[in-house]
Amino acid sequence: MDKKNSECHVIVVTSGKGGVGKTTTVANVSTSLAKMGYRVAVMDLDIGLKKLDLILGLENRVIYDIVQVIEGECTLKQALVRDKRFPELHMLPAAQTRNKDEITPEQVKDLCSQMRPDFDFVLIDCPAGIEQGFRNAIAAADQALVVTNPEVSAVRDADRIIGMLESAGFQDIKLIVNRIRPDMVRHGDMLSIEDLIEHLCIDLLGVVPEDRNVVVSTNRGEPIILNDRSSAALAFNNIARRIIGEEVEFPTFQDDSFWDRLRGLGRNLFSGR
Amino acid sequence: MIKIKGVNGNLLVVFDAVPFADAYRALDEKIKSSEQLFKGSRVVFSGSGLAGFSLDELAALQQLCLNYGMVLNNTELPIRKSKASAPAAPPPQTVPVPGDTFIHKNVRSGQKVHSEGSVVVWGDVHESAEIVAARDIIVLGKMGGIAHAGCFGDASSIVFALNLIPSQIRIADRISRSPEDQTTRPYPEVAFIDDDGISIKRYNPRENLGRSRKK
Repeated sequence: MDKKNSECHVIVVTSGKGGVGKTTTVANVSTSLAKMGYRVAVMDLDIGLKKLDLILGLENRVIYDIVQVIEGECTLKQALVRDKRFPELHMLPAAQTRNKDEITPEQVKDLCSQMRPDFDFVLIDCPAGIEQGFRNAIAAADQALVVTNPEVSAVRDADRIIGMLESAGFQDIKLIVNRIRPDMVRHGDMLSIEDLIEHLCIDLLGVVPEDRNVVVSTNRGEPIILNDRSSAALAFNNIARRIIGEEVEFPTFQDDSFWDRLRGLGRNLFSGR
Repeated sequence: MIKIKGVNGNLLVVFDAVPFADAYRALDEKIKSSEQLFKGSRVVFSGSGLAGFSLDELAALQQLCLNYGMVLNNTELPIRKSKASAPAAPPPQTVPVPGDTFIHKNVRSGQKVHSEGSVVVWGDVHESAEIVAARDIIVLGKMGGIAHAGCFGDASSIVFALNLIPSQIRIADRISRSPEDQTTRPYPEVAFIDDDGISIKRYNPRENLGRSRKK
């Protein structure tokens, strides 16, 4: 199928700190975009520690990797793995046996410009840290999504990353808060969204609540957005819709009325989970 | 030309009034002759020669020490010396310092601002960000990082912020850490040097702090 838009958005998903949910975000947002019919490519730049293929459940189908493309061992088309469940979703896998400094920001830029004509969105999965891998990942992107958790260590790293993105000339930086627990925020045990926004001073793109289902689906290699009952799935779908420019309201987690709790109880009882 | 003495655990480098190039070469040779000995030691600059150097030249001398793995423990105030020996020399306060820095955004973690004059930040300075200025630091927002005012030894420098909760304040050669249980105070404050070291107090526009305080 042809791409929907004439232009292509290259979006890097980054965080600084590891384990906050970059790869999960890339996997689910890209799947969600592909489900809406956009032509999407995901590029795993965590060379040496690849996980995106695992989370997308495409590990067995990987033949060539990004370093081989850059070194000219195969063509870009050969290396792109197409997801059978979502024909619009393509993945460019990272090499596991290689190293992050074996490629340069210029090579990534070049690769991206080859992909731009064919795709509506290119999502780049950035490795943790601020070294070569980070510089490679941000080189080609024109938008950045910063993923953080509501805890001080992740917020500190996010702050550092935002500073580096700003000095690299990024205009469009948005925040995704992952793994928030509304009950803990209510009791004042966790940083709230308002605290985070006030501290980091950037626009919010999405809030993903903590959800046990994410672990299950990650282990199975199925994107969580296929699970209708999951609150994280709804959040990732909302993020994808905001990326394509829809206005989606942020659900308020502050609601704690009697009826809400009763409804929640009923949902839990009947959902079987 | 230059002498190096050990005082209170510091290496005191005393500069005589000689041209910068000579002083630089002499210091370089002195350190190079016993590099291992000097490595890691804390350096304080002193002497009548300091007043004759420009800020750039001072910075070059400091950088030289850093290159040899030494730790800067700051520069003694040239003001005191010049007052006693040569009253005609204008005190540094009245010299207009070019290169004040104005920043119209937040200074984020890991970013460092260095200024040859004063720094004014229209925004917040986040935790683990660093502001180093030869003169005053003025933050029109939250100051949560490390502030080093008067980095070339000007002890009349101040640090001002609408919300002053830094992890560390340095003014000239003094250092002060934040208290363990820091509470945010909802009024602007100013940090300055008095007899006991660095003090912080509520900013009062009717008091003349800062530059004119010492006259």
